[in-house]
Amino acid sequence: MANDVMIEARSLSKLYGSYRALDRVSFEVRKGEVVGFLGPNGAGKSTTMRILTCFISATAGSARVHGLDVFDDPLVVRQKIGYLPQRAPLYGEMTVWDYLKFCSEMRGLEDSTFRTRMKRIVEVCGLARVLGKDIRTLSHGYRQRVGLGQALVHDPPILILDEPTSDLDPNEKAEVIRYIQEIGKNRTVLLSTHNLAEVEAACARAIIVSKGRVVADGPLDEIRAKGSKVRYVVIVHEQRTLKSDGKPPSAQEVQQALQALPGVTSIRELPTDDKAHSFELKGPLASDLRPEIFQLVVQKGWLLLEMRRETQTLEDVFKALTRGDEIGDRGGKPGLGWSPAAGEADDDDEEEDEEEEEEEVKAKAVSAKPAKVTPAVEEAEDEDEEDDDEAEPSDKEASSDEDEDEDEDEDEDEDEKVPEPAAEKAATAPKKPAPSTRDANKKDEA
Amino acid sequence: MSATITIARRELRASFDTAVPYVVLCLGLPVLALFFFKAGPGGGFWQAGRASMTELIVLVSRGVAVLASVLTMRVMAEERRSGTLEMLITLPVKDHQVILGKFLGTWLVVLAAIAFSLLFPLMMFKYPWHLGPLAWGPVAAGYLGVVLASAAAVSIGLLISSMTESQIIAYFVTFVILTVLFATSFLVDSIDNESARLVLNFISFDVRVRSMARGLITTRDVLYFLSITLLCLMAAFRVLERRKWA
Repeated sequence: MANDVMIEARSLSKLYGSYRALDRVSFEVRKGEVVGFLGPNGAGKSTTMRILTCFISATAGSARVHGLDVFDDPLVVRQKIGYLPQRAPLYGEMTVWDYLKFCSEMRGLEDSTFRTRMKRIVEVCGLARVLGKDIRTLSHGYRQRVGLGQALVHDPPILILDEPTSDLDPNEKAEVIRYIQEIGKNRTVLLSTHNLAEVEAACARAIIVSKGRVVADGPLDEIRAKGSKVRYVVIVHEQRTLKSDGKPPSAQEVQQALQALPGVTSIRELPTDDKAHSFELKGPLASDLRPEIFQLVVQKGWLLLEMRRETQTLEDVFKALTRGDEIGDRGGKPGLGWSPAAGEADDDDEEEDEEEEEEEVKAKAVSAKPAKVTPAVEEAEDEDEEDDDEAEPSDKEASSDEDEDEDEDEDEDEDEKVPEPAAEKAATAPKKPAPSTRDANKKDEA
Repeated sequence: MSATITIARRELRASFDTAVPYVVLCLGLPVLALFFFKAGPGGGFWQAGRASMTELIVLVSRGVAVLASVLTMRVMAEERRSGTLEMLITLPVKDHQVILGKFLGTWLVVLAAIAFSLLFPLMMFKYPWHLGPLAWGPVAAGYLGVVLASAAAVSIGLLISSMTESQIIAYFVTFVILTVLFATSFLVDSIDNESARLVLNFISFDVRVRSMARGLITTRDVLYFLSITLLCLMAAFRVLERRKWA
């Protein structure tokens, strides 16, 4: 292990009863990195952070912080960490100053050290106006700042922040992100969030978890490249042409011409009014098709209204990666069908829970006899997952124009799409092992 | 150790930030006086015909039971509900320090309340009134009993509070348990079964406090209170530790 690895998780697993909140999570965070820890609600972000801060213990696997095992040296590990739990739980009846003083005393700081540190903290976190106020009277944004201040009071080399920007208004979010950027200049920061813009603003690297597993880990550019497709939108006038006497193009004509361009992998007509033809093309990440498209349009004498090239955003990748799991979930695949962490089940987990229950009922009905899954089968399943991940983006991108605007619609789309992959899987993957693994696992857990 | 004291200090302040201590002082002492002088068994202090503080001490111990259940209900349950427990425990502090600090902080409030009840014998027999000679030995012994019993009561409340996120449940369960323990003598008289009476007499707090208030300090009584305290604190520690594996 290199010396500059500050946080190291090795196949961490955590079971809440029979729920697998974390499933062999491994990652490293090096000195000076600001890493975004991404995932939907209930993916296991908080669970991981609680293990790293020695609040709870992992069921299996190990974690080292600052080179020390979290299980063997919890006190030293906690000394090295500044931790801001989700929703910044603070003692409401204390004033900000008293609370920070309390934290510094708990950490065994001298009063003089505390006072010098406070100067910097008050400045960095913008606490000057509220030092004498009771915490319960503060707005949520200020509480988060106090939480940050609390995490900084002992000048720790490592910061672990669990959703520091949730429940904040956009201005407060921007400010907290600015503080984190400021703080992160000479510290190692692990920052969990489900807001991707923040990760893009504050982090150079991201780890994406979903259903208790790490599904992506690397620099943001690399993660973005996972999509490996570029999307072009071309809009051509439907009634006019470049020359006034030209014949306006039909939709079919435009589509065929665009499709014929070298490098175009797929094309789809986007809904528009009857003044323009609008198409979405996909091409490889490496090349840029815009010159060719322009040449074609000029050559044909069409009127180009709009042309743009969009690389995949982190959000697209995030959706693709985490949704692939969901679909797998509904298909009843083993290994992916884990439910969210019971301990951090948020409101929106309820739906998933219900599905889980349904699944379990099915599982019990199908397999009375427990059978172990052979590694070969598991591998096959893993491949399936990857296929899902790759296949999904293109499916999704096909409809991504509507997606961008309306998340709800997207969910519906998703629901509609579900049966197909599930059915495919039923045909390709052996169905019986699926429920039985769950059963077998449950027995192990018991 | 310093972390324990820091937690205890914070707990003490948190208790005094609520209205509980002031309500106890303003209402508890007059009520205590009413029971002691007018409504006690045999018609109260004036009817008893002797300078005995025994009844007062038993009454104080019952007051302690009420106070302990009110004070302890918040201690752990509130921390769990609001999530501040996570913040507290991820500070470099051992689980037993958290429990011990919370215990000390709460117990000190109870001790302060007990100290205020000393006003009764002091004012009656020292200054401003001199009702005659009082045997101070039994009073001291009785107060030792109350102090020990209060430690046991606080630790029971702490244990119950650390088992739930609801303050109401913590309060009610603690209150019922402490009422049984501190008012056993009422029960004992109405029960015919000899072995049941033996058991009740054994677990009873007020029977022991009463015998101490008469000046009889036995190792049995002292050990009983100490072991209840220790047992409950250890159990509370285990409950707190359980979060790691649950």
